[in-house]
Amino acid sequence: RAVLCISGGLPKPTNITFLSINMRNILQWSPPEGLQGAEVTYTVQYFIYGQKKWLNKSECRNINRTCCDLSVETSDYEHQYYAKVKAIWETNCSKWVETGRFYPFLETQIGPPGIALSTDEKSISIVLTAPEKWKRNPEDSSVSMQQIYSNLKYNVSIYNTKSNKTWSQCVTNHTLVLGWLEPDTLYCVHVLSLAPGPPRLAQPSEKQCVRTLKDQTSALK
Amino acid sequence: GLRRCLISMDIHHIEEAFQEIKKTIQAKDTFQNVTILSTSETLHSIKPLDVCCMTKNLLAFYVDKVFKDHRELNPQILRKISSIANSFLYMQKALQQCQEQMQCHCRDEATNATRIIHDNYDQLEVRSAAIKSLGELDVFLAWIDKNHQGTSA
Repeated sequence: RAVLCISGGLPKPTNITFLSINMRNILQWSPPEGLQGAEVTYTVQYFIYGQKKWLNKSECRNINRTCCDLSVETSDYEHQYYAKVKAIWETNCSKWVETGRFYPFLETQIGPPGIALSTDEKSISIVLTAPEKWKRNPEDSSVSMQQIYSNLKYNVSIYNTKSNKTWSQCVTNHTLVLGWLEPDTLYCVHVLSLAPGPPRLAQPSEKQCVRTLKDQTSALK
Repeated sequence: GLRRCLISMDIHHIEEAFQEIKKTIQAKDTFQNVTILSTSETLHSIKPLDVCCMTKNLLAFYVDKVFKDHRELNPQILRKISSIANSFLYMQKALQQCQEQMQCHCRDEATNATRIIHDNYDQLEVRSAAIKSLGELDVFLAWIDKNHQGTSA
């Protein structure tokens, strides 16, 4: 049931934005200033650019938390969206505060790929697995971000712990062999996914390390 | 021969130029319930065979209509828009060669899709239509990026 309140009686929430990673789209905001301790609740609506009206998100009506998962409502990533939130406390509520236009296809952060490392004396093989798109239910079939961005690239950074040197390579395929390495040396790798379009935030993978094998020829002497 | 005529240029500096003015431009577009390009039935239904013609038509739409109809007071934004417009002129020249080699054939699908876009534009007051079309440049650039992948850096 919509709560009747005096609009503008409260300051607006601030810093409203979409946090989007692999098409999981979370609306988040900061509480209005000056209301510490007050039991403020929030109500969210969203709008599909080009459509006719604002739509309610029933799970985000009169909520205490300062975030709302709009992944389902914004799952058509080739459309664009707006969202807005207002604060409510007792019989007062703020005016709406609105996001800019949100375009998941160009703005979602691409998560890191999966990384599998194997090694011999002088080389390391790296096998990358593209990150998966957010899915509504765990049992839904998986969609790789590669299927959305066919020209997905990866920036692979390699760190030689002995020489303290780091170098990186930009690859498009999913297997990479690093050759001419030093035997019996610990190398650490982390990878960043790069999607086409304007620059966007990206999440580097966890660092993974592997030691090249001892040089067998010197071992036999 | 080439199934479609690819633009061999780097889209990224256009995307970066637009990225810097996008929030300001889109904030001026107050008609959220209307789109010019963004009806996904229009651009996303374009087949590879029609990519060249559609690209040519949309470049002309922006160069001959949108950039001309738009009035901009902010010098920084104006500079970015001019840079984008110049890049579009360059892309038009690049496509001209395809035209001469008859690889940029326009079928009904591309012609109809172009007409929808012009109709959407003409339904709005001209300044509002221009600002809305500018605000949707990211849609056009993403479409170019996706359909002219063979050549972008």
